[in-house]
Amino acid sequence: MSERENIDYVVGEEKRLIDLLTGDDVMPLLQAACRAGASRVEVRDEAQGILWDHGLSTGSVGSGTLPGFVSAAEELMVEGEPVGDIRLLAPESCAGVLKTILALVGGALNTVITSNLKRMLTTEIHTRVINQSYDELLAINARLTESERNYRELAENLETRVQQRTAELKQAYAGLVAQQQMASVGRLAAGVAHEINNPLGFVHSNLHSLQTYLQRLVEMLQFYRARHSADGEAAAEGDALWRKLKLDFILEDLDDLFRESIDGAERVKSIVSDLKSFSHIDALGTEKIELDVEVDRALGLLAHETPPGTRIVRDYRTITPVTCVGGQLSQVLLNLLRNALQSRSEGLLLEVATGFSGDQVWLSIADNGSGIPEELRSRVFEPFFTTREVGGGIGLGLTVVHNILEQWGGRVDIVGRPEGGTRVEVRWPRGADDG
Amino acid sequence: MIEYDDIERKMVLKLVYYGPAMSGKTTNLLQLHEQLQRNGRGDLMVLDTRDDRTIFFDLLPFFLVAPSGLKIKVKVYTVPGQVKHDATRKAVLQRADGVAFIADSQHRERASNVNSFSNLEDNLALVGLDIDTLPLVVQYNKRDLPDIVSEEEIHNSWQSTGIPVFCASALKGWGVVETFRRLVALTYARLDSRFLLEERHGLDRDAFVAGLVRPRAATGVGERGGEV
Repeated sequence: MSERENIDYVVGEEKRLIDLLTGDDVMPLLQAACRAGASRVEVRDEAQGILWDHGLSTGSVGSGTLPGFVSAAEELMVEGEPVGDIRLLAPESCAGVLKTILALVGGALNTVITSNLKRMLTTEIHTRVINQSYDELLAINARLTESERNYRELAENLETRVQQRTAELKQAYAGLVAQQQMASVGRLAAGVAHEINNPLGFVHSNLHSLQTYLQRLVEMLQFYRARHSADGEAAAEGDALWRKLKLDFILEDLDDLFRESIDGAERVKSIVSDLKSFSHIDALGTEKIELDVEVDRALGLLAHETPPGTRIVRDYRTITPVTCVGGQLSQVLLNLLRNALQSRSEGLLLEVATGFSGDQVWLSIADNGSGIPEELRSRVFEPFFTTREVGGGIGLGLTVVHNILEQWGGRVDIVGRPEGGTRVEVRWPRGADDG
Repeated sequence: MIEYDDIERKMVLKLVYYGPAMSGKTTNLLQLHEQLQRNGRGDLMVLDTRDDRTIFFDLLPFFLVAPSGLKIKVKVYTVPGQVKHDATRKAVLQRADGVAFIADSQHRERASNVNSFSNLEDNLALVGLDIDTLPLVVQYNKRDLPDIVSEEEIHNSWQSTGIPVFCASALKGWGVVETFRRLVALTYARLDSRFLLEERHGLDRDAFVAGLVRPRAATGVGERGGEV
């Protein structure tokens, strides 16, 4: 706006004759007056200064009467006020027409003045109105631009904020799902443990009783067999039946059968117990946990998911228990180990290591599996991100791990291995009372 | 104040006739031109109009010379009343020394009066004039028409403001000079306090008013109009 010429015009500003007339307006009239008989014509302003003149150059008309000449003058008016005059000089012989010429030229000049004044006033006010309207339009435009910018910003922010909130909601939802998953796993474990423990108890106890009972029966059988060994025909018959029934093998195998059955029952019992303790269904707060034992327990629970021929290399260096929420630790271990176990269908080499580093606890789980492409590494912690086919996983495993570690003030990193496969490193601060 | 030149001893004042469209502002000026002596006033200049509606302004100048020799010129303007010419109104209003607000007495014009007065308040503020100190008179015009707001109502509406209100019929010619005279008197009061017209220039209020408002002899048209 400052570049534009600033016309500071006030309606009513005084106009002088020189403002209202130009030579082009005046001179033809003066020339015509001289042609009509005037010897000299002058137009003067208020201060008697000559603005335009024509004719004899023998000095001013008003400076004195020249012998043989007559003069006359008429006022020039602006807004009804005299602002100057027009003076004529003519030879005495032309005195008669002098007044007529003066009236004609004076009248013409006054008309020109009035119409010029009107034209100037309208032009000036028009210019002023245009400028003002333009300024107002600029101001309106500036306000609109500003308001548009605000709205645009708002819209853009809105998108960002919606994205933020969506991400937060997704995280919260993931947390909820994980929590529910954990809780249901825990409940399931507790239920299964309860349901299995009772029958398992009497299976186990009955097996022991059965073993004792059978030993007694065998003892009795052998007593009878020994007694009848001298009884010729009956003994031969008995031996034949003994062989037919393969009782020697059976008696020999019986112990193995019982031992294996009892071992099996005991393994079931320990699995159930592991499941129960691993789910930490009974402990909701922090507890002191031996990390190495917990890792082994997790590996045990995942035995059925372990591909055949898997080699597991353990390198445990945590010598004291760590303090953490057991259920959360189980989640971390299960999710990371399961990922590793699923990375390769055969020939899997799983390296699990734990240890302390300064005031941090660390856990490293490495596999020689298919690895995670570089471009996906930043996304694997996103809730519901999965590369597995539908039904293969809901994409929460690493999110859960990430969220838990965040809660602990720790971190989880995915490191590619030059030799192929993936190493996941987890670290979190040891509690003040750890170690 | 358009101009004050102490050396040239010249003072140019501006009075503005404001109001809604068709309320009779130009008619007021025409009547002043008609009813006041040629001696002491200039010619009425009506800038281009369209269908009798003012689009720029009208101007009627008055002249007065104080005993001290101070030449006082009072330019009386009308503004265009139509809402769309607001920029022109603002331009004319700039540096005004007094305002006559010409209202339309007809019932149906009440809203226009209110809007126009509110526009006057806004524009005065915009051009830096204080409506509380600016000389201001109100004229309820068209008293000759039927279906008009009663004087009592006008009195009740304006009494609390302290603004002088006149009833007039510009068309018939009454109340116009009274309105102008009061405006001139109020303008003098304000000028005198700033420029010491009486003390320095020997010009008192009556002389100022009498010099600017010189009714032609025996017109008699001023009898019916008057202050409410």
